[in-house]
Amino acid sequence: MFAHDFLEEAAQHNALLQVHPYTKLLLGIGSIILVLFTPNYIVPCFLAVTLSSVTILLAKINLKFYLKLLGIPLIFAFMSALIIIFLSEGVTKIWSIQIFPWFTLTVTEESLNHGLHIFARVFGGMCALFFISLTTPMTDLFGIMKKLKVPDLFIDLSMIIYRYIFIFMEKARQIYLAQQMRLGYTKPREALHSYSMLFGSIFITSWDAGEDLIHAMDCRCYNGKYAKMITYNPVEWRSLSAVSLYLFIIIGMILWTSG
Amino acid sequence: MEPLIELKDLEYAYPYASPALSNISLCIQRGEKIALVGSNGAGKSTLLLTLNGMIRPDKGTVTFHGKPVSYDRASLRKIRQKIGFVFQDPDVQIIAPTVWQDVAFGPVNLDYSEEQVQQAVSNALHSVGLEGFEKRPPYHLSGGEKKRVAIAGILAMDPDVLILDEPTSMLDPAGSEDIMDLLDELNHQGKTIIISTHDVELAYPWADRIILMEKGRIIASGTPEEAFSDKELVRRARLKTPILLELSQELKSRGMKTPGTLPRTVLDIIRIIEHNHHGSIRLSDNGYGTIHVGDVDLISGPQIQAILARTSCDTIGVMGSRAKICARQWGLIPDISYAVIDKCILQAMNGRTSLILTTGGMVTRVFERVTLFNQTNNRSIPVRSLIGSDKPDDLSGT
Repeated sequence: MFAHDFLEEAAQHNALLQVHPYTKLLLGIGSIILVLFTPNYIVPCFLAVTLSSVTILLAKINLKFYLKLLGIPLIFAFMSALIIIFLSEGVTKIWSIQIFPWFTLTVTEESLNHGLHIFARVFGGMCALFFISLTTPMTDLFGIMKKLKVPDLFIDLSMIIYRYIFIFMEKARQIYLAQQMRLGYTKPREALHSYSMLFGSIFITSWDAGEDLIHAMDCRCYNGKYAKMITYNPVEWRSLSAVSLYLFIIIGMILWTSG
Repeated sequence: MEPLIELKDLEYAYPYASPALSNISLCIQRGEKIALVGSNGAGKSTLLLTLNGMIRPDKGTVTFHGKPVSYDRASLRKIRQKIGFVFQDPDVQIIAPTVWQDVAFGPVNLDYSEEQVQQAVSNALHSVGLEGFEKRPPYHLSGGEKKRVAIAGILAMDPDVLILDEPTSMLDPAGSEDIMDLLDELNHQGKTIIISTHDVELAYPWADRIILMEKGRIIASGTPEEAFSDKELVRRARLKTPILLELSQELKSRGMKTPGTLPRTVLDIIRIIEHNHHGSIRLSDNGYGTIHVGDVDLISGPQIQAILARTSCDTIGVMGSRAKICARQWGLIPDISYAVIDKCILQAMNGRTSLILTTGGMVTRVFERVTLFNQTNNRSIPVRSLIGSDKPDDLSGT
């Protein structure tokens, strides 16, 4: 329940931390966009495998942790793919089963291809997304937002929200433990009650924290400004050109496989 | 001398509550180290919050630099820049997602230019000993580190006065000593420091002046010895007598001759006991140990290592944040990191050699303190400056 800081923690300690966020974002977002243009499952699978290797081998993310993380969305993708495979229509029948007289599940070549393609797309896209979130900490993204001229109000708010997520999650964890110690979650009814109490306390805590925040900001002469950190190592041409080359290869593969 | 901050007849009550402050009058001089001591709910935090205009008293005036504080936005900003407030819980105060951004918060809002912000932040991080932490997110820091970030955030605005509400309440003993050492260092650099605490053992040796509070009133204000020796006041304030003071009172009641001044450190107590035991001077069998003082800016790690390898130093003491960083980088494990000079004098009286690593102006402080001790006690503890030179027999002992 309280695994909130694992992603961010992994990002803060990954081996590609010093690479400029532009380069990493180009690879991640570029891959996500390209995966949408793929005609079949070959290119997305290639993307997934290569991006995963980059995440595990270059960014040195723990393999077990990565697989666990990837497992969650893939289970959903797998289930949706199954439904598509069995229910969408096609011409070449491969296999079918009649469950009820009026209901037949049929797998056709087209539906199989379609299902696999969608699954592979999700797979590739998730790998690209995890590549970004595991190699680029939020704090770097704030700097990028600033450079991309996102309105200050939006960035300031997201920074405050980001900062407080951790404080509230920690509070929630403490309350949850305290409730468990007093057998708060033993019966379903009890669990429901405890859960609502947990959220009630968190609401009050966040209210207090808001007042404290205003005091703290006043004490430090708040005048509507929030410092932004925009110092990075320079963009390295080597990693940048490697990323561009990779994306060109993907484009080439897309053109080639779509005939 | 004109007081830096003057409070006159302050009254304040929170809505629907009994008065939090009543009849408070207080003068604070430049460069003082003040500890506000009282039980929970005695009004310490409320009093501190009136100092920088966070709370507007119902009655009475607050004067800063001879001018009464006014409560419009512009003057409040000015006074909050000059009187920095460090909250008890650093999680309340740290508002930005990285250490650098948080420390830069004040300077940015004071409209510093970009270079000035950079400069202010790096100076502040430097003086609390957190260089290299710029990009770290605060939720991964230890309690002591968070406290340092909070202090750095205030220091970056270059205040004259630092107010700290319960600075050590969330720290382990070693962390508390580190913070108190840092406060000493800042005070040495000319900042006036006011803390609130209910840890008497902490306040007693540290403060120049103790203010005892009870139920929103000041019941005593004076040197730590004065404030804590009145048992009735201590009881009323729901505190306890510092152990050193109690010890000396007990010694006195058993007929030990005690000097006119009350003891503030272990060193003072040892002096009383030795005096009663041996007469005025006692030299340990191998003579006094030498106190060596090294300035980490003038000496390098390998040089220190070489000196340590050549001679036997029984104790290594480290004073000041920068010296602590250097010691860590050089792989030295300090034996003492708080009340260093006194503890080294104690070692020297026992015939043990010690090495104090520190920076700049603190070197002269060591010399002054030891010389003063020698003069008042008729001793001759040798103290030497280590120069990172080629002189091979720098540490030849006495």
